[in-house]
Amino acid sequence: MSTAAISVRDLVKVYRRRGQQEVRALDGLTFEVGRGAIFGLLGPNGAGKTTLLRILSTLARPSSGSAAVLGHDVVASALNVRRRISVVIQETAVELFLSVRDNLGTFARFHGVPTAEARQRAEGVMEEFGLARDAHRKVIDLSGGFKRRVQVAKVFMVNTPLVFLDEFTTGMDPILKRAVMDKLRREAAGGRTIVLTTQILSEVEEMCDDILILNRGRQAARGDLHTLKLLSQGVYDVTVTFDRLPAGIEQELAARHPIRLSVTQNTIEVTLKEDHGGILTVVGALASRGRVLRLEVGGASLEDIFVELTKGEAS
Amino acid sequence: MSGLTAVMYREGKIRATNALFIFWDVIYPLGYLLVFGVGMNEALGGVGRSRLPTDYHSFFLAGVLGMASFGIASNTAWSFFMDRDNGIFFEMLTYPISRAEYLVGKVLFNIAIGLTQATVTVFLASAVLDVRLRPGGLPLLAASVVIGIAGWFFFYAIFALAIRRNDAFNTVTSILYFVFLFASSMFYPVDPLPTAFRAAALANPVTWHVDVMRYATIGLGDPRTIAIEAAGYVVFTLVSFAGALYTLRREGS
Repeated sequence: MSTAAISVRDLVKVYRRRGQQEVRALDGLTFEVGRGAIFGLLGPNGAGKTTLLRILSTLARPSSGSAAVLGHDVVASALNVRRRISVVIQETAVELFLSVRDNLGTFARFHGVPTAEARQRAEGVMEEFGLARDAHRKVIDLSGGFKRRVQVAKVFMVNTPLVFLDEFTTGMDPILKRAVMDKLRREAAGGRTIVLTTQILSEVEEMCDDILILNRGRQAARGDLHTLKLLSQGVYDVTVTFDRLPAGIEQELAARHPIRLSVTQNTIEVTLKEDHGGILTVVGALASRGRVLRLEVGGASLEDIFVELTKGEAS
Repeated sequence: MSGLTAVMYREGKIRATNALFIFWDVIYPLGYLLVFGVGMNEALGGVGRSRLPTDYHSFFLAGVLGMASFGIASNTAWSFFMDRDNGIFFEMLTYPISRAEYLVGKVLFNIAIGLTQATVTVFLASAVLDVRLRPGGLPLLAASVVIGIAGWFFFYAIFALAIRRNDAFNTVTSILYFVFLFASSMFYPVDPLPTAFRAAALANPVTWHVDVMRYATIGLGDPRTIAIEAAGYVVFTLVSFAGALYTLRREGS
């Protein structure tokens, strides 16, 4: 049996709708994820992230190729896959007419957690997620953010070795988000594999020890954060704050075809791909254009890498 | 706990949040029988004056039970839309249950309601309306309630799973309700009907289902014909189950 948590080989998914052009959502994807990893799946809208999660969680079938979760094929052995995963889908998914406690209990029951144990776990999970006060309230009466809490909290009611989280922080306040991220790190340290997709790149930067960037259904880059940053050697973030913004400076920088350029009040933020000498020339030229209050030059962030690798694809 | 019982537990939990609906489900066939059955019985003038071999409320007892099975089944199928609206539908498809367990578990709790409903209706029809029940017919009646609800649920589930729009599904069920219920032996005997109407009624699974229940409750019908109709209904149930399972498995793919 494979030691990988996820093993994907030449995975292709083509959507065909009558009267519409076929969409190749995944196009020959191959990768593996080790057990106990926190794996981040990145990509612009339409890159194939959700399709990949749907296939791995047995919600959709691949058009060709294969995918296995903890050694079980997602098509031939779908039920065995489902016994080993818990999923937070992108959309809010809760039992609206059940109480918070019953939502957690019902989910645990599906995963075979004995009733007494489920009851005990629910108390702890509700406490951690700030839901204890609302334990008896029907979920339909809770706010959108709290509904999302209930949905994410369910994952911690069970011990499935693999967890899929699709945009799980949507609607969460920063304090809870941090608490959940810490909890996920602890779970991963205990051997649980976490797969997450998010559009918030700082979350991936902070959490993931293995990152896959998808673009048009293909792998655009793969590795840990340091490996990915090596891909963008020569990419620099430059931030300059002037006492007064020099006239025409935005146009001058735009002529250098930056990866990213933004001007806010008197501050210019620009991401450029230059060699070492080139970036010093740019910084020198900028500094000579006016009175500089602040100047920062740094290496590429994950966002820069992401933008460069998926340039022109994000919608 | 198996996947089947987990789905059944979940359905029960959701239904139990509104006891009034469960109470209504249990008593409404009896109410229908008392109002419509007794009214029609008086209008037709009773045994001897109508073309029925028995009084109308005895004849209509199986009809009302068939109607209740049909109603429970279509409401259960409609709940797929509620699951979709709650977002839980797709999440449930990632739970450790087979697609078949999801389908069967969803209808099991409502079959339990159907059996309670049939017990209350038959017992009170006998006590209040003096319907003379066929001795030994109750096991067949129980079986026909179970298979009856399951068959119609699987049939409706095909539409509920294939149609994405709630309003479109409601239109389809309204049409099916009209065709299936009126072109059948639910409200009147089939034999005196015009030829085309009669042919449609004889090909209608509602007729097969109601005829079996009528035989089980008051012993009306030829046992050989009833056996063929029962077999036909079982085949209808199995084919509908296969169709619903196929449609559910295609979901998302």
